[in-house]
Amino acid sequence: MSLLSLAQTVTNFEAPDVDYAALSPAIALTVGLVIVLAAGVIGPRGNRWLSSGLTLLTLAITAGLLIWRLGEPDAEIIAGALGVDGLSITIALMCVVAAAFVVPLQLRDVAAEEAGFGESHALLLGSVLGMLLLAEAQNLITFFIALELLSIPLYVLCGSHRIRGSSLESGLKYLIIGSLGSATLLYGMAFIYGGSGATDFDAIAAGIGTDLADDPLILIGIALCAVGLAFKVSVAPFHQWTPDVYEGAPTPITSFMAVATKAAAFAVFARFFIVALGPSVDQWQPALAALAAISIIVGNVGALGQDSLKRLLGYSGVAQAGYILVGLLVATEEGVSAMVFYLAAYTIMNLAAFAVIAVRERETPFGDDIESVQGLGRDRPALAWPLTIAMLALAGLPGTAGFMGKLFLIESSVGGDYTWLGVMIVIGSMISLAYYLRVISAIWMRPAPQLAPAIAGASPDAHGAFHAGDGSSREDREDRPRPSGPVLAGRALRGGPSGGRCSLVVGATIIAAAATIVFGIAPSPLVDFAENAGSSIVEMVGQVGQTG
Amino acid sequence: MSATTFGWLILAFPLVGAIVIGLGFRVLPGRSAGAIGTASIGAAFVCSVGALIGLLDHPVEERQLADTLYDYAGAAGIPFELGILVDPLSIFMALVVTGVSTMIHLYSFAYMGGDAGYRRFFAYLNFFVFSMLLLVLAGNYALLIVGWAFVGYASYALISFWYRRDTATRAGMKAFVINVVGDIGLVFAAILLIQQLGATEYLAVFEAAPEAFETNEWTIVAICLLLLVGAFAKSAQIPFHTWLPDAMEGPTPVSALIHAATMVTAGVYLIARSFPLFELAPTAADIGAFVGLATLIIAATIALVVTDLKRIIAYSTMSQIGYMVVGVSIGAYSAGLFHLMTHAFFKALLFMAAGSIIAAMAANQNIDRMGGFRKALPWTCGLLIIGALALSGFPGTSGFFSKDEILAFAAERGGMYWIFAIGGYLAAILTAFYSFRIVFRVVYGEPCKEAKELEGGHLAHAEPENPATGEPEDTDVGFPGPDHWIAERAFPMKAAMTVLGVGALFAGFVQVPGVTEVITHFLEGTFEDSTVENSVEVSEKVAYIGLLVGGLCAFLGIGAAFYLYIVAPGSTLRLRDRAHGVHDFLFHKWYFDELLDALVYRPAIALGRFANDTVERVVVQGIVRGASGGVGGLSATVRTAQSGFVRFYALLVVAGLAGLGAYFLIVSG
Amino acid sequence: MLSTILWLPLAVGLVGFMLPKRLVGAWALLGSVGSLVLAIALVAGFDGASGALQESVSDSWIPDLGVRYELGVDGLSVFMVLLTSILWTASILWSAFAHPDRARNYFFMLAVGQTAALGAFMAQDLLLFVLFFDLMLIPFYFLIGGWGTGDRIRATIKMIVFTLVGSLLMLVAAIATAVLSSDAAGGLTFSLEALRQVPLEDGSQYWIFCFFALAFLVKMPAFLVHGWMPDAYRAAPLPVLVLLSGVLSKVGAYGFLRVVIPLFPDASIHFQELMMIIAVASIVYGSIMAFTQTNVRLIAGYSSVAQLGFITLGIFSLRPDGGDGAVIQMFNHGLVVAAVLFVIAILYERSETEDIREMGGLAQRAPVLAILFVIVTMATLAIPGSANFVGEFFILTGAFESKVALALIASVGIALAAFYALRMYQRTMHNRLPAGMVSREITLREGAVLVPLVGCIVALAFYPGLITTRGEVSVERSLASLEEPETVAQR
Repeated sequence: MSLLSLAQTVTNFEAPDVDYAALSPAIALTVGLVIVLAAGVIGPRGNRWLSSGLTLLTLAITAGLLIWRLGEPDAEIIAGALGVDGLSITIALMCVVAAAFVVPLQLRDVAAEEAGFGESHALLLGSVLGMLLLAEAQNLITFFIALELLSIPLYVLCGSHRIRGSSLESGLKYLIIGSLGSATLLYGMAFIYGGSGATDFDAIAAGIGTDLADDPLILIGIALCAVGLAFKVSVAPFHQWTPDVYEGAPTPITSFMAVATKAAAFAVFARFFIVALGPSVDQWQPALAALAAISIIVGNVGALGQDSLKRLLGYSGVAQAGYILVGLLVATEEGVSAMVFYLAAYTIMNLAAFAVIAVRERETPFGDDIESVQGLGRDRPALAWPLTIAMLALAGLPGTAGFMGKLFLIESSVGGDYTWLGVMIVIGSMISLAYYLRVISAIWMRPAPQLAPAIAGASPDAHGAFHAGDGSSREDREDRPRPSGPVLAGRALRGGPSGGRCSLVVGATIIAAAATIVFGIAPSPLVDFAENAGSSIVEMVGQVGQTG
Repeated sequence: MSATTFGWLILAFPLVGAIVIGLGFRVLPGRSAGAIGTASIGAAFVCSVGALIGLLDHPVEERQLADTLYDYAGAAGIPFELGILVDPLSIFMALVVTGVSTMIHLYSFAYMGGDAGYRRFFAYLNFFVFSMLLLVLAGNYALLIVGWAFVGYASYALISFWYRRDTATRAGMKAFVINVVGDIGLVFAAILLIQQLGATEYLAVFEAAPEAFETNEWTIVAICLLLLVGAFAKSAQIPFHTWLPDAMEGPTPVSALIHAATMVTAGVYLIARSFPLFELAPTAADIGAFVGLATLIIAATIALVVTDLKRIIAYSTMSQIGYMVVGVSIGAYSAGLFHLMTHAFFKALLFMAAGSIIAAMAANQNIDRMGGFRKALPWTCGLLIIGALALSGFPGTSGFFSKDEILAFAAERGGMYWIFAIGGYLAAILTAFYSFRIVFRVVYGEPCKEAKELEGGHLAHAEPENPATGEPEDTDVGFPGPDHWIAERAFPMKAAMTVLGVGALFAGFVQVPGVTEVITHFLEGTFEDSTVENSVEVSEKVAYIGLLVGGLCAFLGIGAAFYLYIVAPGSTLRLRDRAHGVHDFLFHKWYFDELLDALVYRPAIALGRFANDTVERVVVQGIVRGASGGVGGLSATVRTAQSGFVRFYALLVVAGLAGLGAYFLIVSG
Repeated sequence: MLSTILWLPLAVGLVGFMLPKRLVGAWALLGSVGSLVLAIALVAGFDGASGALQESVSDSWIPDLGVRYELGVDGLSVFMVLLTSILWTASILWSAFAHPDRARNYFFMLAVGQTAALGAFMAQDLLLFVLFFDLMLIPFYFLIGGWGTGDRIRATIKMIVFTLVGSLLMLVAAIATAVLSSDAAGGLTFSLEALRQVPLEDGSQYWIFCFFALAFLVKMPAFLVHGWMPDAYRAAPLPVLVLLSGVLSKVGAYGFLRVVIPLFPDASIHFQELMMIIAVASIVYGSIMAFTQTNVRLIAGYSSVAQLGFITLGIFSLRPDGGDGAVIQMFNHGLVVAAVLFVIAILYERSETEDIREMGGLAQRAPVLAILFVIVTMATLAIPGSANFVGEFFILTGAFESKVALALIASVGIALAAFYALRMYQRTMHNRLPAGMVSREITLREGAVLVPLVGCIVALAFYPGLITTRGEVSVERSLASLEEPETVAQR
């Protein structure tokens, strides 16, 4: 068996073919990266707009190419090291969209300003390239290279706010833990290669076949790989870098990490485990199930009582990773579709949330503290509604994409005989309500903190009680703002308040929020999108079946 | 017009009257409300007569006419129609109710003249009459329950008519709640009937019952006992009687109409109406009879010592209804109903006289403060004496014939039913005594301050205050308001009382043993196929002996009262001191209120406190606290794990890795 | 027809955002009146004889999950639709007079709530029902939290988490139902009609039943899971509380008739006693609590607990009479509790307190208010002659036939109801007028809301058959699947 797979790889080496059409998105990204970097070198004048524009252009072209490929049949690039199929394209598109969303956020960002826009955008594109390749990777080598290409620029970006200690700390922390993760993963790959004698996913599957399915060597490899990937998608108990890094990193970067990394990593996670390690599914399924459950609980309870919105979203990210993992581990077409659907939903709702936080960071001295959104409903409906919708969606309340996502996940979990995980998901959602609603209460039901400059004309006893009750006024006295403003706030304030000039961001935010609602009511287009991704996985497994 | 059309009209007039007065309370000038009220009831009386005539056209066995307006809510196998039954019994009741009501409306027209709530009073009163007529005319048990409950509400509204007095509101609440308990009894009786016979309509039920039930089968006994619960609650029989004395908080005409003449007799009507069921369940019937006996004796004993004028009469009402309950329970239906009628006359009369006296006393109801009104209120006192004579069964008066007919029937039926005859006659002595206790204390003796003033032509006007507690109150809500009315000075009151006085004196002659039997003949239409009543034929001998004994009892009682209050005044005090144990026992009404308080009210309150302090706080909110607390604890641990030190994270990673590795090694083959 | 009724409120609410603040209230009122008219037309056009679904709508929605946009009304739901429209109109009318701040948001949230409630009553697709059921919560969270009084934020979070505990588990249960029966049904479907054809086997029926039951009992709320109720009742603005207690509580009871009994017959029979015991516990406990409370809102709240207990009792007598009683009682209680709460609002405006110990004597200068209040009170305690009595009578009959003892215990609730309802009326309207309290006659604005409601109560009291006859057929239809439990068990 292993001989046979070896033979296959040899034959592949004899006929190396490169499908440039299929590779085109990657090429476009690379070229764009170089250009943006170059543009970054042309003096400081106006490069804010220039590099941003170029970046957006690049992303636009890439997106266009990806969509073009969507129509085309699946293709193998570079001797099956990379493969373009529904899954890869879908995920790649998500990452591109996320990146494109981040660019306008960067526009006014202090961190980007200090790092230099050219550089930060180039790094961003590099990371996107890594994600694209990761989504396409069908071979251990490309898998690992892409992963590193994804991670390293992010390490730098996290630390890009140099004069801020927390930013540097987060960058360093991410670097150390990330490397630990990569190392573990690499180690695991070694085991698996040793066991199956192959690097191509389908070949590995064939190599493992039925008789090696419960072989200790392979299983240890699986364990190590699981841990390594669990890092990237921040599944508990390998999540702990997440809150710290999310909080420390500049908000635009955080938002990008939160959504794009997760998407790409999950793509390869699914591909690697379902295709390559498919044969020993019975062994790894329970383990991942346990991880998912832990992650749901830890993430949700961790988010309770967090005052920093970014930390809060970090923890919620951990919980969401748990949900998504459920879709993965049932290893069915429905499961993968559900996973992809949820990733898409997760992308738009998180982007909306982070964008609002970023704007408020610049408008108020409270940084990303929950106080920064108090009274938002009265002063800035344009920001309040998107954040509210995002929170409701993350909590998975009906009428939002989040609800649909949970629906599909639960359906797949029940279909895959993991009903108890479905129950875990809803229990998680219940707990999560406590903190999501806390944010919403802050937006709509609490008065704007007096110290905040951005908030004029919010009368303290503005709300409530057009019937009985002296209550409301007492309420107000309770939440006078705490003595405000960490150091960063003051500095952030120098960049703003730039509410007016954030209109671009606000617009993007509103679009994201609207999408959340639309896909919550009419999910079908997104569903087709996701299903085509799911089916591609199943096809791969099918091919393995034939070859094996 | 057919009898049933008249039947619907009987219902229509009072209802329209109530609605007109109720809606027009802002526009109706002066006493027009009283006029409308009286007129509508009068019209209802006329219609009853019409129905009576219409009924007499039919041969005796065809005098049960049912008629349905529309299907009220019948569905899912539960019949619930808006139908009436016009038969001798219902028409008899309708006549009594409308007749007496008309008189009492007439009385109130003047008596309540000074009250701020004049219109409200007549709206309520008309609504009451409507409800009472609905009760007696209803053609099925479901509708009976409706009338039953409406009557309960009307009584509540009128008891707490002077709603500023918390004594009045509390009394109203008590009456209502106890009546609801009765309703529940009826409801379950109806449910059982539906379950067993699938019908609530009287004729259908009575048709089906004999086939459906063995005699004394538990279901029929249960049904009858449940009916009795309803009857006792409404007719203030032991142990559901405690609301009636308190109900005297209401205006005196209300006491006369509702708590003497009509509503409280509904229980008697119910038992008589359901006689085919009770004859299938003799056990239940006997239980009813014994309760009636107990009530009539206990109430009579209490009436000996109570000092509140209206409460004395109230207890005598209980006692008299006891007679009726005994009557209808042992099978003397027409006798029981005959007593119901006569009692309605003389008891209403007594209350009217009492009202006149209380007005003269400026709302004071304590007979210890009264005395010597014979000169001041000749008319009132005359009629008071007539009422008292009738009540004590003085030979020739209406009470004399009706009461003795019941007891004679009991004696004739023999066996254990002798007990009722004996008990009844003993109680009759007490009755005669307490009724003349009133007379001698109020009419004769040393004239009290108010009496003297009145002889001087001036009607007493005390500061308005709550007679029960003596706390002051404003006149806009409270005893008839700024000016009081006495029979001597108000023609309508005089007229009403005269009519009833005539009734009290001579109504007895419609049914004299061996001479006339008007009532019995008329009611045959209903009771013709009764097994019990027809089995017992009261021989004239027994009847006359009964009358004789009854007369003796009356003389005995009156004589005793005469001796104690006229011949040897003050001897009662010595008596009280000698037997103060007995006196206290009676004075505290056999401690029934205390008993109820201890058995029902306090436990309920305690239960409420327990539910509030323990269940709600500890269990229910505990569930919430427990859940949130658990989650909170978890989140605390998670956050402490989030120390921020990379080395610690790495450690956890290793731990996690070790865990996974261990798992995979275990599952590996 | 149904789609129009369903989406009209939401459309109105959205348009409201574009109107100047002054007009929003009037506009919302207009919209609600419109939907009320449509609802009345619906009832008028309803064919009482047939138990089948009417006005059905069915379109594909999420084909991948076999979820369809299926609406329809029958004897169970048609009057609930009417009730929803009536109460929303009343509530919006009251609010329009009160001029809440942030009016656009306020009326928008009300609109969302109405659409959600109507959807829950109309949905004939299990998932659609669940979706609307959960959706109802969101607007009420905002309404209570944003416009409520006292410690409203805690109250709302408590309420929403509490109620979602049930309804999210219900989501899993619903999906499980569809997935588990997909083989028998030939493909994934959530259509209630299709699902009732292929009952699950006992094992899965039991746990699924529990999840559904939990969701509905919490929503009612029933004894032991009513922990959210007191806070929410204290905090909610009264017009919102009217809807919360008048309509939302019914959705739970309705769900039992619409979903649980037809789909999970074995489980319904298996858990019948348990459910009836819970119901009786709610009756007794709710009544006892109601007569110990001194806050009028809580008296109303706990009385609803008792009333919903009666409704549950009727439903789980699993007999047509009991179920029919439950159907009419749902409508009655909605009307009556709404009236009570509006009366409470009116009393508050006179006495500035919600504690009956500090009220009294208000009847003095307000006879009309007193009359209206006394009618409402009598309806609350289900005096014979009111439609509520018909409801309770049917329910007790049903309960009596299936479990005599429980029916007898339940009757305690009736006596206690007489006590607490009357107590509330007396302590507020009767006795002495406390110093500084003004007894004012009901104003036009208050009358405009209260009088029509009381009118409905009285009118229904004259002909409850309107509902009982129409409910009967549909109830029998939803009980039909209980007929052959054995054959089901074999599946």
